[in-house]
Amino acid sequence: MTQDVFADGGDVGRDLAAVDWDRTPLGPPQQWPQSLRTAVSILLSSRFPMWMAWGPQLTFFCNAAYRRDTLGRKYPWALGRPANEVWAEIWDDIGPRITTVLSTGQATWDEGLLLFLERSGYTEETYHTFSYSPLRDDDGALVGMLCVVSEDTERVIGQRRMATLRDLGSDPSVVRTEQQTLAFTGAQLGRNLHDLPFTLTYLFEIDGVRLAEATGIPADHPVARPGAWPVEAISRGESVVVPIEGDLPLGAWREPPVEALVVPLLQQGDSPYGFLVAGLNRFRAVDDGYRGFVELTAGHVSAGIASARSYQAQQRRAEELAELDRAKTAFFSNISHEFRTPLTLIMGPLEELLTRSDLTDDQGVRAELQVIHRNGLRLGKLVNALLDFSRIEAGRMQARFEPVDLAHATAELASVFRSAIERTGLTFEVDTPPLAQPVYLDRGMWEKIVLNLLSNALKFTFSGGVRIAVRGEAEAATVTVTDTGVGVPEDEMPRLFERFHRIENARSRSNEGSGIGLALVKELVELHGGTITADSTFGRGTTFTVRLPLGAAHLPAEAVNTAPSAGPRSSGAEPYVQEALRWTPGTTDSSDEAVPVAKSPATVLVADDNADMRDYLARLLRSAGHRVLAVGDGQAALEVARRENPDLVVSDVMMPRLDGLELVAALRTDPRTAGTPVLLLSARAGQEASIEGLDAGADDYLVKPFSSAELLARVRANVELARLRNHHARWRTALIDSLQEAFFVCDEDGAVIEINSTFTDVLGFGPEGLPYAPVHPWWPDREADPEAYNQVADALALLVGSTRGTYTIPVQHRDGHRLWAAASFNQVADPDTGRKVIVGTFRDVTAEHYAVQRDSALAALSVRLSQAESVSSALDGVLPDLGELWQARQVYAAVFHDSGPPTLVTDDEQIRWESLTPERRTALTALRDEPLLTPVADRPGGAGIALEHPDGTMVLLLELTERRPFTEQDRTLLTLLAGHLGQGLHRIHQIDQQRETALALQRAILGPAELPAGFAVRYAPATRPLKVGGDWYDTVMLTAGRIGIVVGDCVGHGLRAATVMGQLRSACRALLLQNTDPAQTLTALDRFAVQLPGAMCATVFCGVLDPATGELTYASAGHPPAVVAHRDGTTDLLDHGRSRPLGVRSTGERPEAHYTVPVRATLLLYTDGLVERRRQPLTAGIERVAAAVQQGRTATLEELATEVMANMAPSAGYDDDVAMLLYRHPGPLELDFPAEATRLAPLRSMLRTWLARCGVDPTTAQNVLVAAGEACANAIEHGHRHLPGGLISLRAAATADDLHLTITDSGLWKTPEPAANPHRGRGFALMRALMSEVTVTTGAAGTIVGLQARIPR
Amino acid sequence: MSTPLTCTTGRRPDGAVVLTATGEIDMSNAAAFATALTGADDESAGSPFVVDLTRVEYIDSAGLAALFPHVDRLRLVSNPLLSPVLTIAGLDDITTTAAES
Repeated sequence: MTQDVFADGGDVGRDLAAVDWDRTPLGPPQQWPQSLRTAVSILLSSRFPMWMAWGPQLTFFCNAAYRRDTLGRKYPWALGRPANEVWAEIWDDIGPRITTVLSTGQATWDEGLLLFLERSGYTEETYHTFSYSPLRDDDGALVGMLCVVSEDTERVIGQRRMATLRDLGSDPSVVRTEQQTLAFTGAQLGRNLHDLPFTLTYLFEIDGVRLAEATGIPADHPVARPGAWPVEAISRGESVVVPIEGDLPLGAWREPPVEALVVPLLQQGDSPYGFLVAGLNRFRAVDDGYRGFVELTAGHVSAGIASARSYQAQQRRAEELAELDRAKTAFFSNISHEFRTPLTLIMGPLEELLTRSDLTDDQGVRAELQVIHRNGLRLGKLVNALLDFSRIEAGRMQARFEPVDLAHATAELASVFRSAIERTGLTFEVDTPPLAQPVYLDRGMWEKIVLNLLSNALKFTFSGGVRIAVRGEAEAATVTVTDTGVGVPEDEMPRLFERFHRIENARSRSNEGSGIGLALVKELVELHGGTITADSTFGRGTTFTVRLPLGAAHLPAEAVNTAPSAGPRSSGAEPYVQEALRWTPGTTDSSDEAVPVAKSPATVLVADDNADMRDYLARLLRSAGHRVLAVGDGQAALEVARRENPDLVVSDVMMPRLDGLELVAALRTDPRTAGTPVLLLSARAGQEASIEGLDAGADDYLVKPFSSAELLARVRANVELARLRNHHARWRTALIDSLQEAFFVCDEDGAVIEINSTFTDVLGFGPEGLPYAPVHPWWPDREADPEAYNQVADALALLVGSTRGTYTIPVQHRDGHRLWAAASFNQVADPDTGRKVIVGTFRDVTAEHYAVQRDSALAALSVRLSQAESVSSALDGVLPDLGELWQARQVYAAVFHDSGPPTLVTDDEQIRWESLTPERRTALTALRDEPLLTPVADRPGGAGIALEHPDGTMVLLLELTERRPFTEQDRTLLTLLAGHLGQGLHRIHQIDQQRETALALQRAILGPAELPAGFAVRYAPATRPLKVGGDWYDTVMLTAGRIGIVVGDCVGHGLRAATVMGQLRSACRALLLQNTDPAQTLTALDRFAVQLPGAMCATVFCGVLDPATGELTYASAGHPPAVVAHRDGTTDLLDHGRSRPLGVRSTGERPEAHYTVPVRATLLLYTDGLVERRRQPLTAGIERVAAAVQQGRTATLEELATEVMANMAPSAGYDDDVAMLLYRHPGPLELDFPAEATRLAPLRSMLRTWLARCGVDPTTAQNVLVAAGEACANAIEHGHRHLPGGLISLRAAATADDLHLTITDSGLWKTPEPAANPHRGRGFALMRALMSEVTVTTGAAGTIVGLQARIPR
Repeated sequence: MSTPLTCTTGRRPDGAVVLTATGEIDMSNAAAFATALTGADDESAGSPFVVDLTRVEYIDSAGLAALFPHVDRLRLVSNPLLSPVLTIAGLDDITTTAAES
């Protein structure tokens, strides 16, 4: 029963079962009422946290989920105890609720109720949502309660912390200062006294630590002393938990914190700003969540501090800049004021002088005076502008506004600019229709506004034109100045009207300017109560729009004069116009009019954007006798310097396009101008400026203003110094330029930094393009010709990677044509810089290259053609060569016959004419109709040519890689090769035909049509080149069964030798029949040979063999010895009976020798082509052939013949013709007999005799007899059952170790049926048992039984 | 013309019937050999009899086939030349090989 109640309760069930229930009011579980049992079982089976109390003491039960979530360490102690004991610490909270449930029967509901539980070893802040419901006993009385509970602690605390972090991150105001930031974060932290009972924020300062903010605690509390905290760990960026004590604030709790977490206020990339001390809620463990919360809080504080500090820093910087700007204006205006007096005193007398005709009659004096005047005006204009600023700044600008006809006034101002604008070639449009009413203007100011805008437009416009327009609107008048100039980059637009701001690198007519023009215009327009806006597209042009309100209401009344004044008051226009006129494009005027007077006149290049200064310098230098080249900017100077190589460059620092410092740098990097002295001129005084100039590589530095004498002195000094210094360099340059070979210098990266004139002549690339960095512009195109490109790339790698070397590479002339250059180079150290440079020279070897290519291609072709044995093999060899020569992807050769499809040859056997694309077929066919030997390369990627082929017209088509150029040289080469190929093919064809004829002849006259049994013969013509010769073999049937055997070799090759051979052979045959004596035969043949041209010195081996006995009589006329291989593996050479070759005079008779060929030995006769090898003694060849025959002694004779011919052949084939004759003794037995049983006994008799001749032992012989007898009996019985009298043939042959027999009938055997005919089955069994191998082959023509027996040694 | 073969029937001193063959036995004369064998068998009247092949130079499967019907009462006397064939035919247990003369 007990088990039943707690059975489903798992661990808790077991622990409940272990409770001593007898000691509780509930008694033993067996006696529990059903209601209790049910309640307990519901409790235990639920996975939702529950506990229940039952009975008078409210005895405690709970389930596993409750144990896990809530009960903690009280388990299992709590089981079976009174509930008020279990939950003593919260009984005040829950006791009344339980009482209510038990008294009223009403369930309770509490959500997120804070309960301090003692379940984890400390008093813990927890939140629970729960319901108490009544439990009744079997009688319906209220006896207990069930609590369903879920814990909310994580949720409640998480929400609380999240709220604090959210508030910290949502600062609605733009926080300004650090103090404000800290006050804000303090306010937020102070609102969460649960998690942060108190906080202290400290900041590190130069002299220590300062408490910057405190929440939940007074700032003067003892614990707030900065010294109380572990500052060192904090500085390292670590967080530390510190125990605290004393009279501390409680925060939201009834007891104060006992620990604080100290967290650094981290600063990115630097030591912490300070640290935050957070008093910790003692009712929560300091777990990862709590720690993380405090650290995130600290992060918010740090971020606030960071943004406040950076804001402060920005603010300070802005203020400093504004202050600087003010100081600059003040300085300039003060200075400017000081200028006015001296300027007036200069300009006054100067104008006076200009009116004096006695002075101005002299052109020189007049020009100088005008320069002074113009520049005086310019200075005055600048001074006035600065003064205007300071007046405006100080509010002292005295404006007088009067009603003015705006259109008229503006048109008038514009007109004075017309000539300046039109001189530059620009159009100038003035569009000023009269307005309905006058506009209140200060005429002086308006003049400045309009002139500045026009001057600005002209300065930045190089093509197109300038337009000024006036328009009236309802409440305002607008004036627009539009240009088609360089425009303003978008990012510069906001600063366009800023004082002293100049757009860097803008292309302009002059680099002069102070950056105050537009700023002044804006100030002046605003003084009129108007606005100015700019609208610009970079590269397209700019439009300035000035809007002036109509009427005078917007102007200060005291400054308004309602009556118009008499008209234009003054003209301040002249300085603007004069200045603009000097911007007109200057020309590089050289010094034809100059009269050299200096002792050592030099060429001086003057670069200055100010035309006056330029002219002044030019005049001054010319007067000293120098030749002067004058240009308006640094870029022009660089170009002229490279071209003209001046002795000295005098340059301004501030210039458009390329300034003076950049010019110096560019000159120094170019080896041609690196040594040219540069004298920089600048208005910028001071040590720093001159150091900058000299640093850049200038030789001297002169500050404006300078005296003419000083300039000339410096020029002279620099020129002389440079001449001295550059003497070697000039000599070197002259030397290099005089070289016949192209000369270049590369830096270590392979960039070409110096070249000579031959270089330019060869490649078309001149010094103006230097340096040429790799990939150099003369490299072949990577896409079109990757092979050539790679060659050049490899050469470059060699060049920069080796100390010396040579290479030949294809390059591209500037005009596109292909060159071949052979270069050699050396690595040297630059004496100036110590860096590695490469000095090289090269020659144009294009002609040689193509000549070599042509020659080697022709040579290769000739070799191929000479090696070829036939027309088709010639093509097979040549096509890949052609393909390789042009890096073709495929080469097609098609031979067009009179009819039928053309024969296609490629190096891919898979490709057939039929499988070609129709386009390809068309292309090939079209080539056929082209004139012969005329290359066609009219489409990219292909080139073809037609030529003669012995069988018809052949076309060659090269499929080239994409864009591979097919040059004139390629065409020449293709023509040449095609011509040679055609001739070669014809020659091969002829040789081929001759050879065919000779071979046919040779075969016709060679050898007997039928050889006697036991012989095998071979003849092979020489294979390379294929040619017949004068070798022969012969067998002659003589009397008494004897056989004459002859092998001979006539001198020479070809048809002629073959003819001689034929005659000798016939003669020898006839003589043998007559004499049957080898020596006599040869002697008689001698006489014949003398008569026959070409027969002299032929060698002959002549023998007479008795096949029955193996007896051989032989004689040799200068012929290599015959070889005999015995059955035991030894060999004999038949080297007796020797005498001289045929027809060679001799005294004695020819000797003769005798030899007996042993049984199952093999005799070999041959001509020297079989054994003779270059650089090997003949004996070595004879030994080899003897070994070959000996090795093959167990093979059948035909097999042996084939093997010997194959094994002896050199890898490239025989280079002389070969005749060979083999005989194995005894010859085979060959019998044909009718299929009759009575024939068997005589057959056996003959076989027995042959076997004896073969030297076979009696037992083996008997075995062979029985087996052969059985085979024959079968043939008689079965093979010829329906065809009596048919022939059966028996063939028997011996090798060294084996006997081979075949019995052939012309009938069809029945499948052996041993059951039906038992003794036939026995016949087969006998054959198999007696022979080492039995084969039965049944075919349509009959049955062949093969028998093989091993002959015991 | 058949292959030469002579067959002679006689008795040994112990009274056993002996068939002595001389020549070669092949398919052309196997029938004659068979007849001779049957005669000798009849003559020995159920007792074992001897076939002397000592002077036979050749016997093939047809000749062997003539021997098999009498194998129960047969004793063979042979020569070394024939013994491989007789052994293969399984007749070696009833064969005595005479030394080569």
